[in-house]
Amino acid sequence: MGKYIGRRLLQLIPIVFGVTFISFLLMHLAVTDTVDVLYEQQSGANAAAAAAKRAALGLDQGFFTQYCHWLWQVLHGDMGQSFVTSLPVSTTMLSKLPATLELMLLALFLTLLISLPLGTLAAIRKGSIWDQLARLLSFTGNALPDFLFALILLYFFAVKWHFFSFLTPTADRSPLLPALPLAFAMTAKYLRQIRALLLDELSKEYVQALLCRGLPYHYVLTHYVFRAVAAPLLALLALSAASLLGGSAIVETIFLWDGVGKLAVDAIMLRDYPIIQAYMIWMSALYVLFNLAADIICAYVDPRLTLRKKED
Amino acid sequence: MKLKQLLALPVALLLVFSLNGCGTVTAPAATGKVFHYGTMAYGPAMQNASTDPHDTYCGWSTVRYGVGETLFKFDDQMGLRPWLARSYEQVDDYTIKIKLRDDVVFSNGKKMTGEAVKACLEDLLARNDRAPHDLKIDAMTADGQTLTIRSHEKMPDFINYLADPYSAIIDVDAGIHDRIAIGTGPYKAVRVDDQGLHLVKNENYWGPVKPKLDEVLVYSIPDGNTLTLAMQSGELDAVQGLPYASLPAFEKNGAYRILSSPTSRVYQAAMNYDTPALQDQRVRQAICLAIDKDNFVSVLLRGNGLVAAGPFPDTFPFGQGVQGPAYDLERAKELLREAGYTHTDRDGYVTKDGQPLTLRWLTYTSRQELPLLAEYAQASLKKAGIKVDVNATDNYKDFLKRGAYDIYAQAIVTAPTGDPGYYFMSKIYSGQPYNNGHYSSPVSDALIDRLNNTFDRQERFRLAREIGQQIVNDDAVFYASFLKMSVVMKKNVTGFAPHPCDYYEITPELDIH
Repeated sequence: MGKYIGRRLLQLIPIVFGVTFISFLLMHLAVTDTVDVLYEQQSGANAAAAAAKRAALGLDQGFFTQYCHWLWQVLHGDMGQSFVTSLPVSTTMLSKLPATLELMLLALFLTLLISLPLGTLAAIRKGSIWDQLARLLSFTGNALPDFLFALILLYFFAVKWHFFSFLTPTADRSPLLPALPLAFAMTAKYLRQIRALLLDELSKEYVQALLCRGLPYHYVLTHYVFRAVAAPLLALLALSAASLLGGSAIVETIFLWDGVGKLAVDAIMLRDYPIIQAYMIWMSALYVLFNLAADIICAYVDPRLTLRKKED
Repeated sequence: MKLKQLLALPVALLLVFSLNGCGTVTAPAATGKVFHYGTMAYGPAMQNASTDPHDTYCGWSTVRYGVGETLFKFDDQMGLRPWLARSYEQVDDYTIKIKLRDDVVFSNGKKMTGEAVKACLEDLLARNDRAPHDLKIDAMTADGQTLTIRSHEKMPDFINYLADPYSAIIDVDAGIHDRIAIGTGPYKAVRVDDQGLHLVKNENYWGPVKPKLDEVLVYSIPDGNTLTLAMQSGELDAVQGLPYASLPAFEKNGAYRILSSPTSRVYQAAMNYDTPALQDQRVRQAICLAIDKDNFVSVLLRGNGLVAAGPFPDTFPFGQGVQGPAYDLERAKELLREAGYTHTDRDGYVTKDGQPLTLRWLTYTSRQELPLLAEYAQASLKKAGIKVDVNATDNYKDFLKRGAYDIYAQAIVTAPTGDPGYYFMSKIYSGQPYNNGHYSSPVSDALIDRLNNTFDRQERFRLAREIGQQIVNDDAVFYASFLKMSVVMKKNVTGFAPHPCDYYEITPELDIH
């Protein structure tokens, strides 16, 4: 297992290298750069000022020179400075990550808290009121855009009932309200997935055989069926977790949540390359690590996966 | 029992998250009179999330929020008045002598002297990317409260640049710590971050009117809907930048007051002279005549604008008297016929040599008025037989660089320094990189050259009006309207009003009762 983890972690190096190279290339394929964006936004500046700014940021260099310079900096532990704020990229990212982590972990937790029991109920009580409720939630969650749900929540919780304050700094504020629209949207997807996975598993012959031998239904469900569906569910969860930890610009903007999602979108709009590159590293690492974690957990939960690999 | 324990864990975790801050509407600890202000105009994306005036566009925050002041300032008619300076004297075309006030102190109690101002301006030239190219300072000497500045080019609008927010005077010896600069304004910053500013009263304020509030909290709220809800929740005392659609909700509510001021941010559409069809002035004129500006402002902008005749509002001394074309659809059709567009295709668009007159209208969406203008122009020009393909994209600069547009509509502040020279040099003069229409007129160029060498303010204003009229006569740029900036405040707020130059928001007069 140790070797396996080591090998997977080593894969992170070419992935990060490839992703950052491609993102750097894509950014430079655009005709405009940071200086164009910054000055145009503020009524323009004279050509000499723009040229000086471009030189100061190293944007007058060739593409490969710029990329190599950035890579060299990163390899020395320096993520550079934001083109817009001149603040160190690592400080900026680190200052926003805790808020995003807090928000997204809660959203993930709420998703599981709602979708696991309700999805299970919808599957084992197929056609019941629980199944109808799960279907209604799922359709509504998929149809309702998260920004609209977020605004509805704000209207009631902030304007009508004063449970939410706009003025409290992110660090002192509960992430519950901003997490709800994220969790709602994700729950809508998970409900259907969990229901479908469980129904598929429950219809298998081994389940019928176990029940015929007199094992209690809940015992079969918790000791056999849940273990069997754990692998695909964890794989799904790993992707969702990585995607969530990338932040959500819309929800962060509406709830004034100072996270990395908005930071990334602003950086893309302003062509703030150092921030975008740091964000790409963060996202690559997240996807690789979460998938690795899911694989490891799956191996423990469902030993068939390890056995199959050995047979192969 | 096991199941209960299993369920207890997530419920406990949820409670921890829920009880942490939610349900307790608490503003940051503050004492005395506290003003809560929400704005869309602050934040990293606006390049102003600091009070260090020498850093990019952060000077706007320094001056807007009452942390710093400039040597000169604009009055409500955009006339220049001394602020930290007492007076100035134009010694020759290159030299200016500024007498500073003797009673100004920084918020740390240190006196503002000629040496301190000189050190500040030197720091500005060393660190700001635009200032050296704008100010063109060659040498500075300080003697007591007198500062003499020599430029290496003729600078008739030099004083205007000293009213630009980047020229806010700060104590450079005190340094910049955590984005906090030491200025001379009525308030001093104690916290500055991406989310906003926390300001407290400057007990050492030198001005005749002392700050009335104990604390000011500025919140960056970049989403218009959130800003509206935050104001409706009653937590904010005033907001700036509300979407037009939200204003009626406050107009009807007696608890709020709305104040507006026209600014020099114009919504304009530059005709691309590289487009063959637009090289014919009759076509350009037809476009200008076929769009009803009054209707655009009254209906689509819901009255939150000022119809534009030229590049500057007529509330500015250099914007008065310019005559723009009045809406005349029939005359527009007639002009198109004169230009050879004598037939129409099955869709009703005019054609010449079998080709319909199709124009690519490039604009962007970050200003809510621009997509509206594009759609309105599309519908209006269709009536005249001109087909408009709207390209409203935030990637518009790529299209600009490739020249893939016939008309480029944008929102631009035409008098950021309270002087007309900047706009003409940047947007109108031949060959300039921001002259997106590639307009080139020997008449306009000659007038701009004269303007650049004219020091007399009245003569500068007269020349500016003449240039503005020339642009309109050439139908080089279609000026639709000016932004009317509105602020919404609670009824108990006084001393708070929008300013035409958008520089001054938090002032010593601001109070809540």
